[in-house]
Amino acid sequence: MPWLAIKLPELPLQVFTRGLADEDTPLGVIDSGRRNRILAANGAARAQGVFAGQALSAARAMAPALQLQARQTAREAALLAEIACWAGRFTPRISLAPPDAVLLEIGASLRLFGGMDAIRQQAREGLLQLGIEARLACAPTPLAACWFAACGQDPAAGIDWREALDGLPLSVLGSGTDGDPALPQMLAHATTACSASTLELLDGLGARSIGVVRALPAAGLARRQAQAVGLLIARARGEQPDPRPWFEPPARFSHELALPAPTHHSEALLFAARRLFASLSAWLQARHAGIDHCRLSLVHEGSGETPLDIVLGHPSDDADHLALITRERLGMQVLPAEICILRLEAEHPLDRGAHATDLFGSPGQARNEALQLLDRLRARLGDGAVRRLAPLADHRPEAAWQVCGERSRSSQAKPSPSRNLRPLWLLPAPRAIDLRQYALIGDAERIESGWWDEGDIRRDYYLARRADGSLCWVFHDLASPGGWFLHGCFG
Amino acid sequence: MAQLLENLPAGLVWQGSHLARPPGGILPTGFPVLDAELPGGGWPAGALIELLAEHPGVGELSLLLPLMRKAGAERWIACIAPPLLPYAPALAAAGVPLQRLLLIQPASAAEALWAARQATASGACALVLAWLARPDTAALRRLQLAAEESATPLFLFRTRDMARHASPAPLRLALAPTTGGLRIDILKRRGPPAARPVLLSWLDDTAATNDACAGTARRLALVG
Repeated sequence: MPWLAIKLPELPLQVFTRGLADEDTPLGVIDSGRRNRILAANGAARAQGVFAGQALSAARAMAPALQLQARQTAREAALLAEIACWAGRFTPRISLAPPDAVLLEIGASLRLFGGMDAIRQQAREGLLQLGIEARLACAPTPLAACWFAACGQDPAAGIDWREALDGLPLSVLGSGTDGDPALPQMLAHATTACSASTLELLDGLGARSIGVVRALPAAGLARRQAQAVGLLIARARGEQPDPRPWFEPPARFSHELALPAPTHHSEALLFAARRLFASLSAWLQARHAGIDHCRLSLVHEGSGETPLDIVLGHPSDDADHLALITRERLGMQVLPAEICILRLEAEHPLDRGAHATDLFGSPGQARNEALQLLDRLRARLGDGAVRRLAPLADHRPEAAWQVCGERSRSSQAKPSPSRNLRPLWLLPAPRAIDLRQYALIGDAERIESGWWDEGDIRRDYYLARRADGSLCWVFHDLASPGGWFLHGCFG
Repeated sequence: MAQLLENLPAGLVWQGSHLARPPGGILPTGFPVLDAELPGGGWPAGALIELLAEHPGVGELSLLLPLMRKAGAERWIACIAPPLLPYAPALAAAGVPLQRLLLIQPASAAEALWAARQATASGACALVLAWLARPDTAALRRLQLAAEESATPLFLFRTRDMARHASPAPLRLALAPTTGGLRIDILKRRGPPAARPVLLSWLDDTAATNDACAGTARRLALVG
């Protein structure tokens, strides 16, 4: 059974409920064509007595707290495309079946993922992360898979799927895209559903299931303008070819998530952002790639948006890691207005190179952890707060070290020119001291250098012991005005 | 009865007169004198360890140099909000892998605490050194938990007067400089109270002079 259908029931509603963290908010979607009717309602709204097809005024009376959204077909199509992108982690052969299904040809992926049940399980978990409720079904033909998913059935491996197909109710025939009457006859194969009038006719004939329709004489159906039904069923049964156009995943990731209610709570925003990151992660996995930069745009309710650039130190496809970095960035961001839409954009996926998974925690994992910690610290504390040190070949103590960016490949550290004892701690700036509290030990080390860059020094350095016994590094400044200074501790 | 206790499998029953063996691993300190006094014979690998000193520069870094030298290739040595600048040439001379040393200087005390917890909990650090302003008991407990879960030793440097306050850290050492060495009072450990302080010596008086310029590193290697 090489086709897996992902069917999204109540897609107009799911576009909005996806970003909803709590399920107690009653939410309804109204059709833009029929403004005064409820098209779909979520569980909380249904519990209060709202149902699809109800008049708007009645619904408002039943549930005063009901939040309403106008149906957005463009967003529905975008969500379908996003799921198709996401499905790229299972197979490159994906086909959209508008309005509300995605078909995956998984014949070649079965072995990799460990069988049909394993794929189904992974797909279910993945869709949950995307925040999408879906029905899955497998069948040998795309149309049959679609129909089974629409009925919420999934034929078990043992039984004859054609028989199961015969048992499906008549309504599945209308579940695909309606054939556009304007289309020429030669494009009729694009039709995946029969028209409402045909359905009505069949219903009037007393046909309740696919099996009954199949038993009807073909000539009679043709005479009644219903020959498309026979073709449709033949395609579902695999008796007629059913070519599908393959979905081409876009080279650039850009997806939006509409929040059901505007908010400025970072937890709610993060919850919704996680959905997008899961999607981005799958898009990257399909390419065996990672990204080191993406942009999360927070679109404000009125106008304008706040871009949040998420920069990683190394290419990654880890959704959890991205969410962690975003949490830190969101925590610091001051939002001028409430947010209603999140948009995640990413391009230029970078090749991460294939890595084998190891039975005994690979060294690559430790390296990843180390880099992830760095990203997290930099995201919260800022670039300047996380640094690395390197010695520099200079005789002047304050010039003998440098800060290097943690991303730069540190070249082999140059040895310090002095082979004398140096303190482990250096004071940020020399501090004037009273020499009577220090006992000098040994001879002076004269450091006289730096005439070329205005940092000229002439000093005699000594080891010195403080009253409590700790060792420090003091110097006598030979340049005017002179004096004794503390410059380091041996720690 | 005594014989019965002797025959029990190790780790099943802890007797008050013995040093406990910490649940995580053990990291040798590099100083046999100190190892002998610590439960398990070294630093506990997953614990909050408090080092109390009057002021920075008493010898706290030298005490940890053997551990820092052993930091793995893929793990950081995180230095969070150090009061002075760790001096790169001296550290390099002492054999510390500088490319693994992360110097983290957060803007506020709260962020320093956050960074300490992140660094410890990530498991990506070989050891974490933190100088925190005034962590309360709840924060210390969270740090101890993070250290325990990730098996990362977290060394927290505090002032000497903090010894009066209780702390969830299983190991607390007070450090004081001596002439050419370090005096370590074990304030708290899992085991009987320490009878006497541990005295470490890394620089005898002649070595402290500049003519024996071999550097702290080699001298420490001899001691360890």
